[in-house]
Amino acid sequence: MSDDAVSPEEVRHVAELARVGLEDDEVDQFTRQFADILEYFETLDEVPEVDREADLVNVMRPDEERDSLDSEEALRNAPETEDGYFKGPNVS
Amino acid sequence: MTAQTVQQGDLVTVIGLEVHVQLETDTKIFCGCSTEPTDEPNENVCPVCLGLPGALPVLNEGAVEAAVKIGKAIDADIPEETRFHRKNYYYPDLPKNFQITQYDEPICADGELEISVEGDRRTVAIERAHLEEDPGSLQHVGGGGGIDTAEYTLVDYNRAGTPLMEIVTAPDFRSPDEVRAFLAELEEVLEYLGVFDAERDGSLRIDANLSIIPEEEIDGDAEEIDGDALEAANRTEVKNISSHKGAQKALAYEETRQKNAIQRGRAVEQETRHWDESRGITVSMRSKEEEKDYRYFEEADLPPLQVSGWKAEIAIPELPRARRRRFQEEYGLSEEAASKLTSTKQVADFYEDVAGEFDPDLAATWVADNLLGELNYRDMEITEMEGRLEEVTRLVELVAEDEITAKNARETVLRSMLDDGASPDEIVEEEGLGKTDEDEVQQAVVEAIDENPGAVEDYESGDDGAINFLVGQVMQKTGGSADPGDVNQLLRAELEG
Repeated sequence: MSDDAVSPEEVRHVAELARVGLEDDEVDQFTRQFADILEYFETLDEVPEVDREADLVNVMRPDEERDSLDSEEALRNAPETEDGYFKGPNVS
Repeated sequence: MTAQTVQQGDLVTVIGLEVHVQLETDTKIFCGCSTEPTDEPNENVCPVCLGLPGALPVLNEGAVEAAVKIGKAIDADIPEETRFHRKNYYYPDLPKNFQITQYDEPICADGELEISVEGDRRTVAIERAHLEEDPGSLQHVGGGGGIDTAEYTLVDYNRAGTPLMEIVTAPDFRSPDEVRAFLAELEEVLEYLGVFDAERDGSLRIDANLSIIPEEEIDGDAEEIDGDALEAANRTEVKNISSHKGAQKALAYEETRQKNAIQRGRAVEQETRHWDESRGITVSMRSKEEEKDYRYFEEADLPPLQVSGWKAEIAIPELPRARRRRFQEEYGLSEEAASKLTSTKQVADFYEDVAGEFDPDLAATWVADNLLGELNYRDMEITEMEGRLEEVTRLVELVAEDEITAKNARETVLRSMLDDGASPDEIVEEEGLGKTDEDEVQQAVVEAIDENPGAVEDYESGDDGAINFLVGQVMQKTGGSADPGDVNQLLRAELEG
């Protein structure tokens, strides 16, 4: 895959969608890395075709309640909480 | 649209809607957490709706049934196969950073809904309706609480994963009034189906696209518009509308704003605007994402659905419009009465119960005018009368069997039933409202004649009005429980005899 598989503008756009701030030198670095990553996927072309699992359809569960996590457990991994809420920065 | 000065009369408003309705299931769409509102945040959450790594969604059959019912009610196709996609966007109301929704293969396609606007019937095309999950709810705290100025954000995922149906109409509306009529009809239909609760906070959310186009772009029948003309006109998407009334106000505001811009020769920006209910205006929203930025791709954790056969298996009740017509034909009701009596399924069911036992006209007066009137006055819903409707039936029976007067039944018994919670028989007994028996009335007639020789003389000398005075005397003696018409006849019989 050629070096221009991903443009610096595309990297900036993707970073914007993911709300990640990138410095100019980081944009260059990620542009190169994206191209490398996409190249790895080309390896998949060498995988021979194999059978896959039979197609599943209509996998559903009845509308019946199951236990939820208790809220302490639910919040356990949060870096910050307040009064039972997850707490994060302003997101306008 | 090129900026140009045009006359107001040359412009036509074109509106299309995306209506999000919460489906009334017991559990969330992809996990077994309850959808009941709670007092505390983050109580109904689990690894699936919190988007914890490795958690797998499993589709709720109840949500699919509700979607098929809606599809039947709007006469939509349920395709042979339908599937889910991930819509990617980064915002803390979505813990997974994507929303599971349906993209190019929605569960319902090509439906329609008939509405009446000021007596005119119109059919609104529904392009599609699809299932998706509701995001969580955010609170913007500090800095005055404004979304831009807040210091931080609190997140509650109780709502995350509540099943939603997004119903997308064609750009078929020509006025905010038509939009309001559509939303009212849609809500009625959804409530009849038992898949929706209008009383629930946030159960209805509307995004509306509005454009103004020159009238000559509309074909003769005023219904069909030229697709190119619509494409050429800039539209605004108005978000954050949460009621019929809000939709009408927000769109009336937006219609005027765009027409003013065009008349002043300014271009209408293609943009997303936010309806600010408290200020009664729409404000421009920065919108960063375009459709391609959502990077839709198939949700590999959910196998496809093949439920077109469910359409024949799942029954839906008679819908409001059909019931309204049947009430007019079967019970001989006016359109207005039929419309009041079908406003909710509970009211219509109750009316049919009463009309089955007593005269349909009497039943209509009692249910549509008296009961709904008194409930409305007290800001009550018929659902709050659950378990007491038999008492209302009993009251109608008392009137039908002539045991009490209609006036007493309405003004004393019904009001006291609602205000004090007593039963009709108790109230009749307590207030002594039972119609006086004939002997007592006869007795009072004789007394009235004996005690008022002056009035009798006037009557005999041809003053027919004197009879009214005597009727009044009899009514007084019987405590108002006699029938004035009967009294009148008894008096004449006594005097003539």
